[in-house]
Amino acid sequence: MPAGTAVPAVPGPGTPAGPAGLASAVIQATALTKVYPGDVTALAGLTVAFAPGVTGLIGANGAGKSTLIKILLGLLEPTQGMAKVLGYDCVKDGMKIRQLVGYMPEHDCLPADISATEFVTHMGRMSGLPATAARERAAEALRHVGLHEERYRQIGTYSTGMKQRVKLAQALAGDPQLLLLDEPTNGLDPAGRNAMLELIGRIGEEFGIPIVVASHLLGEIERICDGLVAIEAGRLLRADTMDNFTRASQTLLIEVEDGVAALHRELVRRGVRVQPFQRALLVPIAGMSTYDVVRDSVAALGVPLSRLEQRRHQVEEIFRDDQQDYQASYQATEAADAY
Amino acid sequence: MPTETHPAPGAAGVIHDLGYRRYDGPRLGRSRIVAALAWHSFRSAFGFGRGARAKVVPAIAFGALCLPAVVNAFAMSRGEARLVDYDTYIAVLRNLVMTVFVAVQAPELVSRDLRGRVLPLYFSRPIKPGDYPLAKFAGFTAACLVMLEVPLLLLYAGAVANVHGGGAVWAETRALIPGLLIGLMWAVTLAAISLPLASLTGRRGFATGAVAIAFLLTYTLAEILLQVETLGTHTGPGQPASASLAEKVSGLFSPFTLFDGVRMWLGGTNQANGVPDPGAFGAVYALVLIALVGLCLAGLGARYRKANRS
Repeated sequence: MPAGTAVPAVPGPGTPAGPAGLASAVIQATALTKVYPGDVTALAGLTVAFAPGVTGLIGANGAGKSTLIKILLGLLEPTQGMAKVLGYDCVKDGMKIRQLVGYMPEHDCLPADISATEFVTHMGRMSGLPATAARERAAEALRHVGLHEERYRQIGTYSTGMKQRVKLAQALAGDPQLLLLDEPTNGLDPAGRNAMLELIGRIGEEFGIPIVVASHLLGEIERICDGLVAIEAGRLLRADTMDNFTRASQTLLIEVEDGVAALHRELVRRGVRVQPFQRALLVPIAGMSTYDVVRDSVAALGVPLSRLEQRRHQVEEIFRDDQQDYQASYQATEAADAY
Repeated sequence: MPTETHPAPGAAGVIHDLGYRRYDGPRLGRSRIVAALAWHSFRSAFGFGRGARAKVVPAIAFGALCLPAVVNAFAMSRGEARLVDYDTYIAVLRNLVMTVFVAVQAPELVSRDLRGRVLPLYFSRPIKPGDYPLAKFAGFTAACLVMLEVPLLLLYAGAVANVHGGGAVWAETRALIPGLLIGLMWAVTLAAISLPLASLTGRRGFATGAVAIAFLLTYTLAEILLQVETLGTHTGPGQPASASLAEKVSGLFSPFTLFDGVRMWLGGTNQANGVPDPGAFGAVYALVLIALVGLCLAGLGARYRKANRS
């Protein structure tokens, strides 16, 4: 089983991660900066570590996700800073990294007039597998992604969902020690997205392969992730384990028959941060005292309490609290991609 | 085939119902991967690994190039002397068929990958940016070599079967060897010119057009210039004493006439494509040919260095 513990982000640029972080991290970026010609900054001093398990790399389009992945694969040289993947330096040991890492690009990358078996076998050979092993592993990879029956069909006849699976299979064929998946649910319908996410979750959990899933749809990937790394404009926004994300986000939902406004005022008066949510109120849980305050407020006002519920925030809502502007740009992209 | 049995409890690793198996066999290094890609490219130049339709053009082209060798063997079996030379073969046929072959098959090697946007997958493999064009060039050169030299070997086999005596066989062999070397020069040059042209676009039709036009246009231009110059210089009947400089320069304009100039400079005696014996000027032919190949290969490399960054 993957450890499931994302290494917390190292605060401050240039600060090296602690020894524990270095030991368990599959990816370690330190003050990573990439400036494209024309002064376009894609990454601005990004310092972050990725733990084993499934880690979501989230950020709006243009946040620097794809640039980060290209640097990690050793295909782009960072302008400044350094990155290590599985202990290898991205600039010096790019070849070694590419031998160990499976990569699924964001866009279409499949020829139409060749069968999936043939293609995945070829890509396995390109990963350094001998011919026989490549053929065997291609068949296995296609079985794992659920294309066993259709593997002799030409890729051009596949649906979008099946093509995404072929892209995943070719990344899996070389038996990677790390998978980098760039927007794996791109272009899929809701059912297809769910199936793809389930598959990625299974690969991470049951195959024990560390996975980085880049996505701009936070709400979608959070349920399969053990950790999250959020970047914005090439900077680290936040990195933590999923547990910490949600633990910090526990709230109490209070619903009363009437007198919502009065209760709101009363709670604020008692020093609680209150957020209206539909016809109810949300209160962050600071500890057992929060329950006491709510009980006392309700009792003092005599309002009829109809529901009191401990609620786990979705990660997205945390960002909304922390980063209003950031979230606004998120919602814009989410709305554009809404299904 | 892999066995689907789960590892025994207690064995290292995770037991799960999907039966994912790690690969702990050997992994090939970069040179072997490039060789595998070159072999894959060689095969795809003949349509292998793809449908029957992909094999039509290579098969017809190959058959057409072999035909003179077969006819020659038949003629020689009836007591005639060898009809076809090893160094020039049938010049017009070879120009035309090889133009068709590279125009149709070079896009098969490079344009398809561009069209399918497969390059990022190659670049995410443990190879260097220059390895992809290198493998494509090696594979396509080998394919052109097969197209050019198998007919020569057939021609040789047909001739040897019909001559008598060790001396005659030795004479055939000595005539064959320059032919094979000239075939190599052709293969390298044709692959070097056609691949960068085809790699400019992912659309196969355009790529084929670009390659075909490049070869046919330059060939036509060179032929016209050669004819004009020949008419201008040699008004009287009879063999010209020596070709004019303008005539020699005219031969520089097409790969096919370049081949003939270099061939004669190296000692070939047969004239083909109307190219005059360049004499000492043949060194210029050789230099232009080398520069052309070098330029094309540099262009091909640059093309993929750029693609790697995008």
